[in-house]
Amino acid sequence: MNTTATQRAPAIELLEVGKSYGKTAVLSGINLAIAPGEFIALLGPSGCGKSTLLKLIAGLEELSDGEIYVGGRLANYLKPSDRDVAMVFQNYALYPHMTVRENLGFPLKMSGVAREEVRAKVESAAALLQLGEQLERYPDELSGGQRQRVALGRAIVRQPLAFLMDEPLSNLDALLRVEMRTELVRLHKRVGRTTIYVTHDQVEAMTMANRIVLLHKGLIQQVGTPAEVYAAPANMFVATFVGSPPMNLIAGRIESSGGQRLFRGPFDLALDGLAPAALGDGPATLGIRPEQVALVGAGEPQALPASVELVERVGPDSFVLAHLADGAALNIRVDAATPIREGDHVFVRLPPARLRLFDAAGMAVARERA
Amino acid sequence: MAQAVEAPAALDGADLRRIAADHARIRRWRRRRNELARHCVLALVTFILVAPFYYVVLASLKNGTEIFSYPPKLLPIPPYFGNYEKLLWDTGFLRWMFNTLFVAGAVTTLKIFLDSMAGYALAKIDFTGKRAVFLLMLILLMVPIGALIVPLWSLVSGLGLTNTYLALILPPLANPLGAILMRQFILGLPRDLENAARLDGLGEFAIYWRIVLPLIKPGLVVLAVIIFTDQFMSFIWPLIATTSDDLQLLTVGVAALRAHGGANYGLWSASAVMSLVPVGIFFFVLQRQFLARSLAGALKQ
Repeated sequence: MNTTATQRAPAIELLEVGKSYGKTAVLSGINLAIAPGEFIALLGPSGCGKSTLLKLIAGLEELSDGEIYVGGRLANYLKPSDRDVAMVFQNYALYPHMTVRENLGFPLKMSGVAREEVRAKVESAAALLQLGEQLERYPDELSGGQRQRVALGRAIVRQPLAFLMDEPLSNLDALLRVEMRTELVRLHKRVGRTTIYVTHDQVEAMTMANRIVLLHKGLIQQVGTPAEVYAAPANMFVATFVGSPPMNLIAGRIESSGGQRLFRGPFDLALDGLAPAALGDGPATLGIRPEQVALVGAGEPQALPASVELVERVGPDSFVLAHLADGAALNIRVDAATPIREGDHVFVRLPPARLRLFDAAGMAVARERA
Repeated sequence: MAQAVEAPAALDGADLRRIAADHARIRRWRRRRNELARHCVLALVTFILVAPFYYVVLASLKNGTEIFSYPPKLLPIPPYFGNYEKLLWDTGFLRWMFNTLFVAGAVTTLKIFLDSMAGYALAKIDFTGKRAVFLLMLILLMVPIGALIVPLWSLVSGLGLTNTYLALILPPLANPLGAILMRQFILGLPRDLENAARLDGLGEFAIYWRIVLPLIKPGLVVLAVIIFTDQFMSFIWPLIATTSDDLQLLTVGVAALRAHGGANYGLWSASAVMSLVPVGIFFFVLQRQFLARSLAGALKQ
């Protein structure tokens, strides 16, 4: 899959990492190699274990299983401060009783850096983050965005091997979040450190990360570039979690009749090339992205009748919720200029090249021809 | 009203000004009326609170015959300082005051330190038996001091501590209220702060000392006020734990004044007034700080 990142020695490597609280396993069998300078997003719904994984890497939680290597060193038994990572917390975790200058300098002061050097590093970080004016202020005198910058600055001054960020933008309002997103990407380009970024926001993951690690129920569902994850989801969870509106899933069965293999569901579809021979008959699910469903004229081959229930206009596009003949729901994304209204009867076509097939277990089935 | 209301004719500038002036007058009158009512209630409450205290101050500045004169003199003119002179030079008052300040100060200082550490451990550190320890402390809160006096006395005398300052200082340190209070305060601090400190290389004690303590200052002040006043006013234990005159505390000494030397209301009043001075100062100084800080903390969230 992604070969560009894994050629050098990984900055952080996780081997069979697992974490359980009592009998409840929160994470299991996590294997991941993160290349130096890479921006990795840990994406998943709340409770999927992504924050726990970050804390395991930081050393704030103890591993139950497996090994963690940071910069080639086994980190399992290293104190958080000895792991050469810096963390940015969701609620910033600035020390309220210290000024911005003291907050930024505190990690350096604690590791015994000379006062003059602390001063220089703090000022350069403050300049990088446009905090020069705020150095003598206390955290409660700052705006949300400024606090966020201080939290980032506190990580930057340490010049660690890696940044660990735990939903750093989730406390900001929508506008500021977009702004800070860009700023973070710019910062990553400039500072060039390995970054692990935890988020439940797929837009953040898609726009910022080199690679996305999708977590669900404590297991890695897929690792890949944003494009890979979007275009070729590894299973039905990824298919529905990534993308908004999510991928359409149409339940049905695979049946063989007279040497031909058919998908039987709300409509019948010949599966030439879509499913490998190894896949037997049985329940299966077809998936297609909303923007890949085509609106066609009545006469076209493979046109399926559908009735429009809802049209949501979101600026450049419209999200259309339609129902196929048997009631199966279908999300369609069309250009806003398309003349379509609620109650309309339309015809849609699902281009076979765009269809994804999932087996009974919900795993993506590779196409027969690559 | 059933009457049809006529649409107002077009109003000119003079009309508008007149209407505005009318409304301003009504608003002013209502404001004054409310304020007057409020002040009447406040004045009454103030009188009820202050009158007894004023009476004691008054009595302390009168000689034996003036105190019982009728009608009572409402202003002590000329003031009579004989009671204070007698109190300060002829009784052990200054010694008691020193003892009380020393014991209460020592207990407060030590207890704030111990309670905040215990509270930190109970709030942030996982250790075996944590729940049991906490439960035990809660149960201890429910035991009245009367039930503890006898075992406490045999413990203290068994250690050979009777008639020492330690006998007055050590037992109050075991009161679990402060640790429970501190635990609640520290539980309110975000876990990420500690995590950040850990990543910054701080050990457990450094987290407590450099991060937690500065942040629970309002709580510490509250605790200090509670402990100090509690110590200042404690009576039963100091009465039992000491027999020596040199170790007598204010409460015990002032009570002894009453027991010996006949009914001297002027002297008693003077002792009551003088006993209040240090608590008053302590309250005044700390409470201002406490109010300011607790408000700042509340607005931050």
